[in-house]
Amino acid sequence: MQLKINGNVVEVADQPETPLLWVLRDEIGLTGTKIGCGMGICGACTVHINGEARRSCVTPLAVVEAADIRTIEGLATPNADGSLQLHPVQQAFIDEQTPQCGWCMSGQIMTAAAFLATNPAPTDDEIIEAMGNNICRCGCYVRIKAAVASASQQIMAQQPAAQAQAV
Amino acid sequence: MSDMTPSTPQTFEPAPTPKRRWRMSRRGFLIGVGLVGAGLAVGIPLATPWARLKIVEQFEASGAPSTLPDAPFAWFEVLPDSRIRLYVAKIEMGQGVHTALAQIALEELGIDRADLEIAQATTAVGPLDTFGTSGSTSVSAAYAPLRTAAATLRELLRSEAARQLQQPADQLTLAGRGFTLAGGTQSIAFNDIFANHSGEWEIPEEAPALKDFRDFQVIGTSMPRVDVPAKVTGAAIYGYDMRLEGMKYGAIARPPTLQATLKSAQAGTAANLPGVHTVVIEEGFAGVVADSRSAAHAAVAQLAVDWEMGKAWQQDEIDALVTVGAGDAVTIQNEGNAAAALDRSTTLSVEYRTPLAVQTPLEAQAALAEVTAEGVRVWVSTQLPTSVRELVAAALGVEEEQVEIIPTYIGGGFGRKSGFEVAVEAARLAKAAGVPVHVGWTRSEELRYGYFRPPTHHQFRASVGDDGRIQAIEHLQASGDVAAQFLPAVMMAVMGADFGAYRGAMVHYAIPDRKTAVAHHALPVRTGWWRGLGLLANTFAVESFMDELAHHAGKDPLQFRLDHLADDEMGQRMRAVLTAVAERAGWSTPAPEGRARGIACGRDGGTVVAEIAEVSLDATTGALRVHQVTAAMDCGLIVNPNGAMAQIEGNIMWGVGSTLMEEIRIEEGQVAAGNFDGYPLLSMRDAPQVATVLLPSEDGKPRGVGEPPIAPVAAAIGNALFALTGARVRQLPMTPERIRQSMANG
Repeated sequence: MQLKINGNVVEVADQPETPLLWVLRDEIGLTGTKIGCGMGICGACTVHINGEARRSCVTPLAVVEAADIRTIEGLATPNADGSLQLHPVQQAFIDEQTPQCGWCMSGQIMTAAAFLATNPAPTDDEIIEAMGNNICRCGCYVRIKAAVASASQQIMAQQPAAQAQAV
Repeated sequence: MSDMTPSTPQTFEPAPTPKRRWRMSRRGFLIGVGLVGAGLAVGIPLATPWARLKIVEQFEASGAPSTLPDAPFAWFEVLPDSRIRLYVAKIEMGQGVHTALAQIALEELGIDRADLEIAQATTAVGPLDTFGTSGSTSVSAAYAPLRTAAATLRELLRSEAARQLQQPADQLTLAGRGFTLAGGTQSIAFNDIFANHSGEWEIPEEAPALKDFRDFQVIGTSMPRVDVPAKVTGAAIYGYDMRLEGMKYGAIARPPTLQATLKSAQAGTAANLPGVHTVVIEEGFAGVVADSRSAAHAAVAQLAVDWEMGKAWQQDEIDALVTVGAGDAVTIQNEGNAAAALDRSTTLSVEYRTPLAVQTPLEAQAALAEVTAEGVRVWVSTQLPTSVRELVAAALGVEEEQVEIIPTYIGGGFGRKSGFEVAVEAARLAKAAGVPVHVGWTRSEELRYGYFRPPTHHQFRASVGDDGRIQAIEHLQASGDVAAQFLPAVMMAVMGADFGAYRGAMVHYAIPDRKTAVAHHALPVRTGWWRGLGLLANTFAVESFMDELAHHAGKDPLQFRLDHLADDEMGQRMRAVLTAVAERAGWSTPAPEGRARGIACGRDGGTVVAEIAEVSLDATTGALRVHQVTAAMDCGLIVNPNGAMAQIEGNIMWGVGSTLMEEIRIEEGQVAAGNFDGYPLLSMRDAPQVATVLLPSEDGKPRGVGEPPIAPVAAAIGNALFALTGARVRQLPMTPERIRQSMANG
């Protein structure tokens, strides 16, 4: 089976029911996507499937065979010099010094990035609703919320058209 | 679209330098000459006077593996590009310790942040730390010796640079990665100083003067965390992420009940399942090594395993074991004669309970082990590498020196990663299978097979005089074990009480007659380390009772506390945080409509903290909602204010979760919860807003930050609930059902 991950095609030999998470982590070595609960509750394993946030621990390969899969390793954009242009959400998580242990953060960032792509100027309540199913055991919620709000501002500043639309 | 080759396993080598070799110099210091790389290293043992400072260097020649006569606490190396590397034994689990230690070192080194590299020590490379990363002690314990070591390295290099340049040392200014001569005519890089040196290093006769804390430029700033960039790109490697070429995955047969033991096991059909590499059956242990985690778990389910089941314990039986009066109590605080005074007259007598709870860090236990003829290497998420080394060595029957424990980033510790089980499991499987084996626990394993925050029971009596002052108070406490599960029985016999279980239990108010007596119990469910140990439970009890007494005396709960503070240093510092938190939270002004506020305070080590919670009740669900928690903390000198605030925020979320929802229950001999559906954790929906006030340091001494702020949270919330409803909930968690019951009982 061929998977398209972060713009690259990769051949895997797993059964179609195998959860995407374990293929990403244990076979391909993309360990930035984390395991938390294995049943879609905590959100640590969140990746983008065709731009939408999905829990990879409960996503079988069969449903992503033809899809664009993006993981945390593919969220930043490479610059010409090989350095990474971080996604505004990643930059905001640094600016707000959000992570503590960091284990949930890939999932938090992927959830936030997909959310802001559809709602670039959310209210506080909308942020809570969007992020409310991603558990952070260290309790970084104050800063996760602040970082999502801050990323929203950056995205709006970069996208005058989106800003106009939202207004 | 390019092809991506699957799986070049990542490796995690936090300490790329070869193992250290040492010899003793004729002057009694560890000293030698490094011929490869840049080997100059300065190490200093923890809390050791200047006279024992060790000057150590790396040897090129082969010889006996590093066995330090006196393991340094931290050491520095000058790298070939003249940057400086600091090896730290403390583990980064999100508390920001690597950043704080970097700041302490930078302050005295005087180099740029970019020129200091932080490297995680392993048990073979870098300093050893037998204490582990726990107890909110990492920064306060490192503060003095690390500054001394940094200043010593700086002056050592300066005096040698002066010798080489034939200039007075006081004419040399540290600039970039070296020294520059006054006037700028000459400069010399750190590594050139090292490379041009021959013979022994001159150890300064006196300890270099350290900066006065009022002159600090790096300590006390919110320097960005060194570990954060890797944590937003997925690049940070944790124990669960470790990979090696040729590795397999392990799973272990787990007992169906708390007390079940393995009678016998046979491979059954497991060995024939696809992907199975090795079935491992040893004394008391049955596991499988397979090509994938799912194959390993599927095969474990097919093992023919016979368990001695043991008693099927129920929750109420465990609660009964943890009840004041059951077992021998040890009096840990006794001033005046509280019992006699209270036997004559008792104003109020109440009791509190807190439940079993579990740390359940989001990264479950995980380790990768490689066992070869050369030795054993284990990459593991651990707070206590030296203990892991000891237990892995014992399990494999090898010498400790043959085992290297390589700590990774930790995906949440909270006391749970002071355990060692997963490293031993991975090592046993790796040895039996002859391949590197990774074991990563499932959430169900993480919830059921670790150790738990113990249940507690508290009985209070107090008498209050007509003047509104407490005359006598007694706190009788019972708890499941905390430290007692981990420390040698002889040590516990000497100590009598379990310091973990009674942490926070003493009454520190100025009350003439006061007594605290505690009893700890080994339970059929294993209990142990949890963030702050007994701090949350005990402070919940003491500070809820103080609130009850305040209301009984008709006093404002803040004023009542202030009235009872001791007039000593701790009392004065507590007064300052209580006053500060009240001002910040607007204590003297009414709460918004439908809400009320509660106050509580706590102390731990030398840190004092006061918190005010603002709550409401959801009219539909009856659920307690915590809108805001304001905290004021005096933890002495603060190395990184933003980091300290982050620790306060995290502790408050832990406290809120414990107050609202966290409870482990035992049913039919097993932990009922098998995943987060059975043990919900606080989410952003239930998270309060947090405001923090950090009180400025008066004396320049850093104190603990990582746990103390958890102390007052539950009491502040319960006290707010009482202010809102007149109902006192004396049992955690404060579920809608318990709140309804309490309100119905008036």
